[in-house]
Amino acid sequence: MTLLEVRDLCIDYFTSTRVIHAVRGVSFDVAPGERVALVGESGSGKTTTALALMQMIEPPGKIVGGTAKLNGTDLLALRGDAVRASRLANVAYIPQGAMNSLNPVLRLREQILDGLVDHGQRLDRKAADALVAGALKGVGLSPDLARAYPHELSGGMKQRACIAIAIAMKPDLVIADEPTSALDVITQKQVMATLIAAQEEIGCGLLLIGHDMGLMAQATNRVIVLQHGLIAEDAPVGRIFTDPQHAYSRMLIDSVPTLGKRAETAAPAVIAKPEAASLMEFDKVSKTFGGGLFGNDAVRALDTCSFRLADEHPQIISVVGQSGSGKTTLARMVLGFETPSTGEIRYRGKPMAAMRAEERRAYRREVQAIFQDPYGSFNPFYKVDRALSLPLANFGLTTQGGSARSRMEEACEAVGLDAGEVLGRFPHELSGGQRQRLMVARALMIGPRMLVADEPVSMVDASLRMTILGNLQRLKDRFSISVIYITHDLATAYHVSDYVLVLHKGRIVEAGLPGDVIERPEHPYTRSLVDAIPWPDPNRHWGTGAPDRAGWDARQIIRGQSAGFVLNAAG
Amino acid sequence: MTTSPTVQTRVETIAEEAEAGSLRGVILGVGRYLRRNPQLIVGLILLLGLVAFTTIGRLFVDIAGAHPLAGPASQPPSAEFPLGTDPQGRDVLAVMVVGAWLTIRTGVIAGFIGILAGSAVGFVAGYYGGWADRIITWIVDVLLTVPAILFLVIISAMLQNGLTSFGMALIIALLAWRRPARQVRSQILVMREAGYVEMAKLSGSSGFSIIFKEIAPNLMPYLISSFIVAVAAAILASVGLEAMGLGPQNEPTLGMTVYWIMQFSAFLLGLWWWILPPVLILIVLFVGLYLLNAGLDELANPRLRKRT
Repeated sequence: MTLLEVRDLCIDYFTSTRVIHAVRGVSFDVAPGERVALVGESGSGKTTTALALMQMIEPPGKIVGGTAKLNGTDLLALRGDAVRASRLANVAYIPQGAMNSLNPVLRLREQILDGLVDHGQRLDRKAADALVAGALKGVGLSPDLARAYPHELSGGMKQRACIAIAIAMKPDLVIADEPTSALDVITQKQVMATLIAAQEEIGCGLLLIGHDMGLMAQATNRVIVLQHGLIAEDAPVGRIFTDPQHAYSRMLIDSVPTLGKRAETAAPAVIAKPEAASLMEFDKVSKTFGGGLFGNDAVRALDTCSFRLADEHPQIISVVGQSGSGKTTLARMVLGFETPSTGEIRYRGKPMAAMRAEERRAYRREVQAIFQDPYGSFNPFYKVDRALSLPLANFGLTTQGGSARSRMEEACEAVGLDAGEVLGRFPHELSGGQRQRLMVARALMIGPRMLVADEPVSMVDASLRMTILGNLQRLKDRFSISVIYITHDLATAYHVSDYVLVLHKGRIVEAGLPGDVIERPEHPYTRSLVDAIPWPDPNRHWGTGAPDRAGWDARQIIRGQSAGFVLNAAG
Repeated sequence: MTTSPTVQTRVETIAEEAEAGSLRGVILGVGRYLRRNPQLIVGLILLLGLVAFTTIGRLFVDIAGAHPLAGPASQPPSAEFPLGTDPQGRDVLAVMVVGAWLTIRTGVIAGFIGILAGSAVGFVAGYYGGWADRIITWIVDVLLTVPAILFLVIISAMLQNGLTSFGMALIIALLAWRRPARQVRSQILVMREAGYVEMAKLSGSSGFSIIFKEIAPNLMPYLISSFIVAVAAAILASVGLEAMGLGPQNEPTLGMTVYWIMQFSAFLLGLWWWILPPVLILIVLFVGLYLLNAGLDELANPRLRKRT
């Protein structure tokens, strides 16, 4: 018996000069109560396929063929009010960005009831209250939150509220479009557990869209891999991870970093000589935002910490934590975009606050960054060449135009980009991966001593992540650049870094070599983080239930020192 | 990169695609864009038609006829005076040719000065922040509460003798910078946080070059659109003041024509050939500006932009 039967679904997008066949004859089934993953990289047609089931394809897109029968009714043949009646009641949708999907001026209660009322359900006050309380309880939220506005909720709570809205009418099919991609691993695990529990409770089918094979292994029964608008593979979760038939599925699975297979490159753990010249030094640095005479409550973004990065022994230091842990504040202070509230940051022994113009210039040149959003880092008004040529001109790295061009080409080659293909284009003409690698190329070309990489791969397709990180690692060795790698992804930190700092609420809770911290975590918070990583192995159980938050504020644990990086435990 | 055969068959070309950057490519691109954005075309046609009327009109119409006593009084349209004459003996056609020009010029001058001064002030407030921002924002906020018409009436009443249409433009410009200043400030506040601004800082660019080379180009579409709005507002203000008789007494602007029409009770005397032309020209002017602005807004505002 099948719940949903999609046959030969074709969707085209029209531009003024081209037709893009976004989805080209996709057929699949979903059984009642089954959880099916729709996996693929950006542009593979996975979201387009899902939106078509709700007839939410906007012009210039158009469904040009195929059927999608839900319990025998063709969803694609519905017209007019029948489409509206079918949405939410038969097919419900959980969007990607919960923060933008809830109406900021309505309380949760109204937003949950909105769809019900629109579908003609008449409820008296008592019945409505009971229904809202039930819906909220079903996703693990307190019924008191019915009176809350979206801004009063955390990211994970908002995503759960979206789930509550979607399942309030007990639909036959729920489509969840990357419901956890904006959340950190601990929250992701909780939200997925909520979603699965709710789905099992009402017994509907679930179509889970995403690109993270690890998550799919933990959350679904069957995986459909899409590539270029075609189905590459459709297999039960038990088989696809042990015996993938299609090269593309294998590539997606292999691109998920796992623990235990770490390529051992780290230098032996030598305690750095205290007298060795330091590159960057944090001396009892802390940062507090807000406060002041008329300000709101002060927020402690980073607690007092002290460390010293030696000039020799370049290495990759990972700073790991959830959003709000203070890792980005740390990065921005290293870059000089924020000044510490207390303490002093010294670059090459010179306090940053007291630098003269030319020292500042040298510091600017030697400390570079790669940011999270490879699109925002380019000025849309200019061709991408400018991102590379601007520092060359400003720092006086070249004298003639010819050599600037050749340096740009060299830099592109170093990160595996074809210079002829990317230079001379506008940022929107390049893919996310190309843009991010161009940013790596830019940083390299300047030849910094230190590189701050703030989530450099979180917006890049999974298959490119390890490539870009591998680039970073090779460049560190070749050009002796120290890298501060900011991330919430423990698995990649495990693979690329020489030393790991775990931040929680502005405090460094655990620090040490990656083999110790991530393979054998000792601090309860680190343990929760490691437990929440979804492994691309359906047999390795993710575990259920909420993490034990009790021990998260426990004492700092520092194990092992790395050559060239000294963390001062006393703070 | 990934150029397997499956990718190539995924995209089909259905119309001519010229090489990027070639002249033919630009022409094709602009042509296709305009077909999807008819407001822009209609607006441009209306405004260019009006400009052609006043520039080419000068070659065929004797503009000396725009002064009083150039012809007989209150004559209906005839072969000699295609739009007739007014009670003071002006040739209405000549008045329209000269007046449309004067009124457009007043609006463009006042709008230009307003945008220039306003965006300079807004740039400083938005980019540097701190006390400069607080003081500027405070002044702009206070000035925004002053009813412009009151201010303008007082100044033009004081300067009325010897006032020219150029002076009129300067008076209107005195208040035209407030709104652009505030809007540009908020745009800068948003753009200042953009990734590319931080990247430029990391690339060693100075504050000055960040404002003019990174932020300003991205603000251009917005400034052009604000300019059109400012021109329309300035024309409205000038016509309003002139209709009250506070304009240049010796120049036949459209607003002054409206003033004379009321002064000489043209409605009671049934001088339709005198009443209709300035009203029609003002309608064409405002509708043209509105359509042009709406068309440019669609071009500049990504949220309204139709996908290409």
